[in-house]
Amino acid sequence: MMDVLVIDDEGDVRDALRRVLERAGFHVRVAGTGADALAEIRRAGVDVVVTDIIMPGIGGVETIGTIREEFPGVRIIAISGGGNFGAGAYQPNAITTSAYLAAANRAGAHHVLTKPFDTADLLQAIGQYSAVGHA
Amino acid sequence: MRIPLTAAVAAIVVLIHAAALPALYFALSGVVRTSHERLFIDHARTFARMLAEQLELEGPAPAPQRIRDVLDLAILNGDGVYAEYLDDRGSVRSQLGRAGLDMPAQQDFNFNEHGDHVYFLKLPISARGHFAELRVGFDETPTEESIKLALRRMLTILAAYSGVSLLIAALLGLRFSRPIRELQNTSRAIASGDYAKRLQVESRVAELQDLTADLDHMRRTLVGVNELLRSEMIEKERAELRRRELENDLRHRQRLETVGTLAGGIAHEFNNALLPIILFTEAALEDLPGTAPVREDLSRVLGSARRARDVVRKILTFSHKVEGTTLNVVDLAVVVDEALNLFSALAPSSVIVTTECEARSAPVRGDASLLLQMVMNLCVNGYQALGERDGRLTIGLRRVSPAGAQAGSTGAQAELWVRDNGHGMDEATVARIFEPFFTTRGVGQGTGLGLSVVHGIVESCGARIAVETAVAAGTTFHVFFPIVEEAA
Repeated sequence: MMDVLVIDDEGDVRDALRRVLERAGFHVRVAGTGADALAEIRRAGVDVVVTDIIMPGIGGVETIGTIREEFPGVRIIAISGGGNFGAGAYQPNAITTSAYLAAANRAGAHHVLTKPFDTADLLQAIGQYSAVGHA
Repeated sequence: MRIPLTAAVAAIVVLIHAAALPALYFALSGVVRTSHERLFIDHARTFARMLAEQLELEGPAPAPQRIRDVLDLAILNGDGVYAEYLDDRGSVRSQLGRAGLDMPAQQDFNFNEHGDHVYFLKLPISARGHFAELRVGFDETPTEESIKLALRRMLTILAAYSGVSLLIAALLGLRFSRPIRELQNTSRAIASGDYAKRLQVESRVAELQDLTADLDHMRRTLVGVNELLRSEMIEKERAELRRRELENDLRHRQRLETVGTLAGGIAHEFNNALLPIILFTEAALEDLPGTAPVREDLSRVLGSARRARDVVRKILTFSHKVEGTTLNVVDLAVVVDEALNLFSALAPSSVIVTTECEARSAPVRGDASLLLQMVMNLCVNGYQALGERDGRLTIGLRRVSPAGAQAGSTGAQAELWVRDNGHGMDEATVARIFEPFFTTRGVGQGTGLGLSVVHGIVESCGARIAVETAVAAGTTFHVFFPIVEEAA
């Protein structure tokens, strides 16, 4: 069974991803921060990482970079919902979601998805790369 | 006190004459009188002496009849009116006219002495020891008449001279006042705004010529200063207008940016909230048996969540956060063609759709599907502005050269426009049309996102949008795209 690590600072998003991925037959672990995620991968390894990009602490782009460096075989899917705001943090010079996703791409993500996406989009993204990974 | 120049000159002439003419008259009349009198007296004395000599030639003590004959002849031929011969024998007298004319005690030395209008002379006669006295009288009246006539003539001449002088003075006054009037009229014209009017007079008077030249120099200086002031004022007004435009533009942009940033933040939150809704609902639907009655409810939840996602995507489009877009070189002409086909198929037959595509190709940087959406949104917006009535919608595309392009841009541009002959908009509406959820339509007739999406797409392509509208005069949206050179 393929191991998937979901990284997102929002509990509902983590739970929803875990629900659909487990239902699809993956073994799913979750992490709320980039640091926790890196610790978990170093501890037990992983096949696929689905990570948010805008997170407090170690951000998604940095996390992706580190994983790519330490675990080049891991497949990475980056997801983002736009803007670098938290609930109250207003930043007028916010860069665009597509820019974040592009940054994730450059950092080494294999696929990028815009929130909200359908289950099928996610499974297709994982399937595509896991197929490549297992080929 | 105000005196016209002509009157002033005439008054001066009159004053000069009033002072000079009486003096002249008295001087001349003295000369006339004296010359007449002297002539008369000389004549009288000569005549008397000649008579005395004639009587002396008659010898001592001539016969009284002889004396009378000589005296009568002398009076008849000469100017005398009275002649008397006196000697120790008595007197012989001959006289004309006035009877009883007697010589006064003293003979006359001056003309018109004693008031008797007769000039009397006494002359001694001696012929070989015989002594006698000759008394002669001359009528002064003709000479007095001559003097009076001469004086009258002189008065007439002087009067004529005064008249002519006055006339000349008046003419001179007019001659001087005409150029001054001209100057005055020109100055008034200049004062009332006709600065181009040149100051000039036709006069040989040096002072007038100088004055005119000085005044015209002043006028030219004034015109220069005036022009300078006017151009400065126009420049200032222009700058002020430009500043206000820029300020309005900036305020508008800041407002849109603020709204956009806030909308982007809200969209982010919504996206994170929508993801679990969609994923959980999909999972639940998968897990439920095909006959479960709750499936339909969940399907509706999923449908609504996906619609919400679409709305959020539109908001993100407005706030420049277009997902997954890449800017390619797109031919705007092809996009317009496609939009036209699509819109013609959708629009009711009451709407006449025309095109004014001058440009056969217009390569711009953008996303083909977003540009199509932009054109479609503009068309739909125009169609909705037509309301219930029949209307006309025009889509145009042309290239504009840098000279004809809007200020602040360089290089060639493609101008896309969508024009409707609908109800138009007032200023307050125009100021807000690009704000998300701003709509003039009733509930259910639009989301208020169409034009904000257009704005987002325009900004993401580095293009610029302008609106031309007036209430009841229709609306035209102009979008200016920088043209991508074919070589690029």
